Amino acid sequence: MKAAERGILSSYDSKRASTRAVIGVMSLVVAAMVLSMLYPIAVTFFNSLKSVPEVNSFPPKLLPRAWEWSNYREAWHYMKLPLFLKNTLLIFAGNLVVTVFALGGAAFALSKLSLPRRKLIFFFFLTTLFIPPSTYIVPNFVNLKDLGLMNSFFAFWLPAGASAFNLLLLKSFFDDINNEIFEASRIDGASDWYGFTRIALPLAVPIVSTLAIFLFSSAWNDWFWPSLVMHGDPHYPLSTAIYKKVIQATGLKLNVKFAILSMVALPPIVVFLIFQRFILRGLHLGGVKG
Amino acid sequence: MDHTVAAPVRPPDATGGRSRAKFGKYLPGYLFLLPAIVLFVLFLWVPIVKGVVFSFYHVDFVKGDTFVGFDNYRTVFRDAEIGVSIRNTLYYMGLCLVIGFWVPILFAVAISEIKRFQGFVRIAAYLPNVIPVVVLYGLWRWIYDPVGPINAVLTKLGLDQILFMTDSKWSMASLVIMETWQQFGSGMLIYLAAVLSIPKDWYEAAEIDGAGVWARIRHITLPSIRNLIGLMLILQLIATSQGYQSQLAMLDGGPMNATLTYGLKIVKYAFTKLEYGVASAMGVLMFLVLGLLAVVQFRMNNRGDKQP
Repeated sequence: MKAAERGILSSYDSKRASTRAVIGVMSLVVAAMVLSMLYPIAVTFFNSLKSVPEVNSFPPKLLPRAWEWSNYREAWHYMKLPLFLKNTLLIFAGNLVVTVFALGGAAFALSKLSLPRRKLIFFFFLTTLFIPPSTYIVPNFVNLKDLGLMNSFFAFWLPAGASAFNLLLLKSFFDDINNEIFEASRIDGASDWYGFTRIALPLAVPIVSTLAIFLFSSAWNDWFWPSLVMHGDPHYPLSTAIYKKVIQATGLKLNVKFAILSMVALPPIVVFLIFQRFILRGLHLGGVKG
Repeated sequence: MDHTVAAPVRPPDATGGRSRAKFGKYLPGYLFLLPAIVLFVLFLWVPIVKGVVFSFYHVDFVKGDTFVGFDNYRTVFRDAEIGVSIRNTLYYMGLCLVIGFWVPILFAVAISEIKRFQGFVRIAAYLPNVIPVVVLYGLWRWIYDPVGPINAVLTKLGLDQILFMTDSKWSMASLVIMETWQQFGSGMLIYLAAVLSIPKDWYEAAEIDGAGVWARIRHITLPSIRNLIGLMLILQLIATSQGYQSQLAMLDGGPMNATLTYGLKIVKYAFTKLEYGVASAMGVLMFLVLGLLAVVQFRMNNRGDKQP
């Protein structure tokens, strides 16, 4: 057996009965873990297809007796999902643009351009990492109010450019790009703006996609902050709308509720399954660099 | 480009000209930095400073703010629920360690040894991370329901029902189990990457020296990821000390304040009582405590970078 193929265990270990028993137990534990990960997700979906008496029956069964697809029609009419989806996507897209240009530009300058007092500037950005967000959540809210950004998408887009963590990710990525490319372009008469938009950004596609994953999942997830900043249906993102109209609702039928939850959970799951190789690698990139 | 060419031509005594040339040289860098600096000032530094200022004011959107000295802090220290909320927060942090912290480490080591289906297991473990938290809230309310699946199993086994949400002994633990279920996958993947990057010949050498499987895990695997474990521990402590969202969404701090954390208390002061000044004072107090933790984390993080 080649050394590269072994892990903690060698082929010799796996022949011993006691080790094999432990391996067996561990495999069972891992299998149980996989089941407990998948079961609640399956339950959400199957409950959405049950009839009202069935979904309320005790003890609950996993599979529905008859598949009631009409629950989905009812769920679709219960709330304006496309509108809320559009708001979520708007927030995500704006956040990404601001992150790429404001933070990308700053990271580019810190990494590749001549700057005096670079340390001081970096300090100005990085100290914000040490201030836990929930300690200034209230003044942050009052501040947005003072700036007149309540009920506006700019209340999400502009603060997206104030993330020291994302700045750090971008900067350490730019640090790994060879300076000579930029020097060569400068000698050929290219401006720094050209260097940023035509050389640095195209090279930064891997890190920008990692950031896009982070920004997408936070835009898709965040329900509390938007519920404070936005007022009323036309501006709510999906999560906030679900919280207000589904989680807090009392009269909603359970199967319809699960139908809505399934519709909201499904797109990210599908996107993840299609791009999982890419996404997991991106998360790794973010984790190691950050 | 012309500034780099022009700079050497200037006579060395013309300091004004030289600083202008310097400024020209640095101008693009500053222009690139400008948007980020403006955004950081407007949306981070101003709120952070305002938080300290507000903690000495009574904030009123209509009548304007009035200076009240230390009144807000006095209100905080007199509020009987503050003590409860601090105890709940510590309890929550402790439960997250006891229930959640070791799980990803254990599974990372176990999964690193799985030869078949490893990719599938990774995906399954990460899947709950992808589900929006609001879906989670709806789903787990049903799972924890008195007539939900867990209680169905318990009744079948002849055991007593557990009121996961309404029993104040269980409510916080129920939230922690739910959050562990959702978040352990991402932690597991981080540990897994570290475990898989341990050189295989270390195990080979240890085995030749007669080290058993447990000895190899204890003396090679765990020490190799020790820095990462320390870092994750501090990150988790910082994150859980601020936790309030699931407590707010699932139980609104109840039953009988059993899930009222410090973070939730801040939110309630601000957005139900509209006492922004008192809430800001609570934020400042929290900052003083957490700032210390963050500095420790930074120190550790730096050490971790130097000795990979």
